[in-house]
Parts: sequence; structure tokens; C-alpha cells
Amino acid sequence: MTATLRRLAALALNTFREAVRDRVLYSILFFAAGVILLSLVLQEVTIGDQDKVVRSVGQGAIDLFGSVIAMFLGVSLVYKELERRTVYTILSKPLQRWQFIVGKYLGLMLTVTVELAILLAIYTGLMVAQQGFPEPVVFVSVGLLVVELALLTAWATLFSAYSSPTTASAFTLAVFLIGHLADDIWLFGSQADDATIRAVAQSLYWVLPNFEVFNIREYAVHHRPTPWDRVGPALAYGAGYTAAVLAAAVAVFERKDIK
Amino acid sequence: MPDSPAILIRGLTKTYTSDFWKKPVTALRGLDLEVQRGEIFGFIGPNGAGKTTTLKVLVGLHRPTRGTAQVLGVPTSDARGREKVGFLPERPYFYQHLSARELLRFYGQLLDLGGAALNRRVEHLLERVDMHRVANAPLSGFSKGMLQRVGLAQALLGDPELIILDEPMSGLDPMGRALVRDVILEERDRGRTVFFSSHILHDVETLCTRVAVVIGGRLKGVGAVAELIGSQTTHVELVALGVGEVALPGERVRVAVVGDERRVHQRVPPDQLDAAIQRVHAAGGRVLEAQPMRRTLEDAFVGAVSEARPDGATGAEEGP
Repeated sequence: MTATLRRLAALALNTFREAVRDRVLYSILFFAAGVILLSLVLQEVTIGDQDKVVRSVGQGAIDLFGSVIAMFLGVSLVYKELERRTVYTILSKPLQRWQFIVGKYLGLMLTVTVELAILLAIYTGLMVAQQGFPEPVVFVSVGLLVVELALLTAWATLFSAYSSPTTASAFTLAVFLIGHLADDIWLFGSQADDATIRAVAQSLYWVLPNFEVFNIREYAVHHRPTPWDRVGPALAYGAGYTAAVLAAAVAVFERKDIK
Repeated sequence: MPDSPAILIRGLTKTYTSDFWKKPVTALRGLDLEVQRGEIFGFIGPNGAGKTTTLKVLVGLHRPTRGTAQVLGVPTSDARGREKVGFLPERPYFYQHLSARELLRFYGQLLDLGGAALNRRVEHLLERVDMHRVANAPLSGFSKGMLQRVGLAQALLGDPELIILDEPMSGLDPMGRALVRDVILEERDRGRTVFFSSHILHDVETLCTRVAVVIGGRLKGVGAVAELIGSQTTHVELVALGVGEVALPGERVRVAVVGDERRVHQRVPPDQLDAAIQRVHAAGGRVLEAQPMRRTLEDAFVGAVSEARPDGATGAEEGP
């Protein structure tokens, strides 16, 4: 392992350790587990395919709370270091600024992935007890959720590198919502008569992230076969876009005076 | 580059322009400074003079607006230059969720240390700064002085050739200050360079080989402490008994009554000391004490500040 990788690993593990010692995170996790288990109650009051309700609510909870955790941790990732001045003794070591950003980001993604794994384990336990072991598509769906949250977290990291957590939260939430409405923006633009509106909508579609690319939850809920033709492009899109946003975060942080 | 100075600063200017709705603030204005290896170098100046800004440029936290800065022969923009530099910021803050031992191990990993060598180094430093008894307690419960000690330990972790300390005595009790002084002298004896800023001028005067005074972002003086303060006696503090209202040469500071005795404290110019003693004896009194006084670094510092800024203002100025 090179010195760079060892430093990235040290930063990532410290970020992970900091996150898992935060009580707020356990509250969110506890609440998410509660919602997954709540699906059993909803099943009782549902007419129709009751098993599907449990799968839908359970997977929806993993999606929602995974996103909440990613945003909660991501928006203060860099700002907190600056505000608490812990960054002084870190960046005065022989560490490059990009290593700081990437190391912190990797630690955050490790935390998010572990949280999702815990939620998935709870869901799997529920399914085994009630409907049998989940279909493989469920695991692929959660895998794509990790890729989606990697992109969302990169945006949060970018905002955190130059603004306060409140502003970064607002921006990240906007990206999250727009990213889930990207297909609608395209549809709206393509149906507009005005050429300018069409151009603006199409530009927004291509510049802003499209989180629906990663969404195959419908296949997972309805136990349909994994749509592999979507998975490959989604992975490539997620990796490329995440790298670009992280590069922007590094560029912002490189120019920053640490006050 | 072992032949290069420990610190070399040429024409360093730093202007802050981060808040676009405010006027730019210039903290450093063409600062030149050279610190040789093996020196204990004091960096003093009033609040806002640019001391911390200079230190932050040296450890890569700030980028120079103009000019250059090198540590151990490497430009400060190159992170490799910090491999042998230890830094203690003013009022250091650390991860609250870690213990002192965990924190030092983490910093050791950032310095690319590991294994048994890192563990030995961490334990040695915890003992050196007298924090080994509380090494497993979370830092969230540490006092300011304890954090300062941990900060000193992390600055020494990589066995640095250049140690940069921003107000290292700040927040420390007398024992803590003695500890920092001992560490600084030990490191000097090991051939290391120590560059530190301080408001406690007595420490600077007793520890430093050379001192630089910075005011308003500009260097106002640099040299050996003896050069700055001079070695000549400025006056003699004379304490006499039984002189009544007899006029003595110089300036009467005060009269103290101790029991039945009336003690006159007189500030006497050195060349009039003999005449003053003769007058005391002529009046039937006696000299209790005659203490020759030299100019202190504080006197020199206050003089330099008053000279530079007759309005009494100090610190950073708004930029052009």
C-alpha cells in the first residue's frame, strides 16, 4: 500500500469512527428499522397484495433513510472540520488537500454503506421470517442505491466545502429533489412550445443528476428479473458523475484559505 | 535540502478577499524573514500584526497572495515540505470523539508512521507531556491546558526538524509553561529549529536566540535579543532608609513605610549613582539596595509599537 493510500485509509476510518460515535445517527437508524417493521402493521390494514406492501414499504424506508443519513453526514463533512478548526492540525501534516477531501468522502461512503447493509439485513430478516429469502434483484437495487448516494454525497461534499451546513442542506436537498424529477423536466421541456424553455429544460436535464437512472425498486418490489441492461450504464453514469463532482469539490477546497 | 535555511520568506503579502461584499484585508505586506537551522526564533507583535497569518502560510493553510515562503528548502505549496515540520496552532482543537492516544495514532498514520515504531513514539510523547495517565479518556473532557499538551505532542510526533508553535504557552499553568520551555530547549539541543509566536515576552527573552518584531504586517526589527534590548544599564533602582525629604538625583518612584522604617525607592541614572549614595550617607541614611536595571524585551517591543503606530492602533489594515 502506498503512503497516499495509507493516508486516505486513515482519514476514511477516522471519519467512519466519528460518524459511528454520533448518537444522532443511531436515532435515524433506529427510526428506519422501526418503519421497516411498521410495514407489518400496514400489511394488516391493506386490501390486495399484502406481501407487496411489506416489500414496498421496507425498500422505500431503506431508500429514504439511506438518503437522509447521506445528506445529514455529507452537508457538514468539510464545514465541521473548518468550524471546529480540527483541520489545522490535519492539513499541516504532509497531506494534500485532495487527499483530505477524498479521504473524508470515502469515510462517509463507508458509513453510508454500513448503514444500508444494516437496514438491508433487517429487511432480509423480515422477509425470511415472512415471505422467504429476497430475490437477487433486491440486493442489486440496494447496490444501485449505494451508487446513487455516492453521487448525492459528492454533491453534499461540494456544497460543504464552501458553505455552512444550513446552506449546504438546502442545496443538497434541491439536488436530491431535482435529481428525482429529472425525467419530468425532460418531459416538460420536450412538450413546451417555446424554444427557450425547451433549451433550458434540456440543459438542466443534462447538467443536473438524474437519480432515477439508479432506481430499479419497482423490479425489486414486484420480483421481476434484474434489468442488467440498466445496471451497467447506471454504474458508469454514477462513477463518472461522482468523480466530476468530487473533482469540483477538490478544486474549491484547493483555493480555500483555512481560517 | 540541509543547507537551506529552516524558514525563508521573501516579499510575503497576504490579502484576504474571501468575502466579496467586504473590502479586502491585507494581513502581511512584503514580509522578509530568514530563520537558520538550530535556532530558537521568537516571532512577536501586537494582536492582528500578522503573526498567525505568517505561521499559517508556513504550514500550507494559507496561500501567499504575493511573494514566496519556504520551509526546509521546500515551497510551502508542496505538501512534502511538511514531512519534517511540526505545528501547534493557537488554541488547538481536536476530534472530541477520540482519546489522546487514538488521536496521536491517527496523526501518526497521516505522517505515514505505523506499527510498533508509532506505538513507541506515541507512548513516549504521552509521557513527555504528562498526559499518559489520561491517555484513554475522550478529549471532550480535557481542559484548555491539557489540549495544549496534547497539541504539543502531536507537533513532535514526526520527530520534526522544524517546530512551529503559535502561542505555545497560552492557557498553560506554571507547570505547563515550564514543560513547554523544557521541550523547546531539548529540541534545540537536538539540533532542531523552533519558531514560535508568543505574547509572553519574558519567555521569548529567556528562550530565543533571535527575535523578529512584526507590526501591521511588516517586519519592524529582527536580531538577537541582546541586540534588540541592548546590554547597557538603563537606570539603577535605589532603595534608601533615613533620608527624610532630602532630594536625590533621578526620579522618586515611591515611599514605602515598613514598620518604623521609611523606605525611599528612587530611579537613579547610572552616571549619578555615586552622587546619590553620597547624599544618602550625608543625610545620615543608608542604602538598602541598588539594583542595576536593563531594558527588557517588553520595553523594546512597546517602544517599537509606539514608534510604528503613534495612534496606538495595531493589526491588519484594509487593503488597497
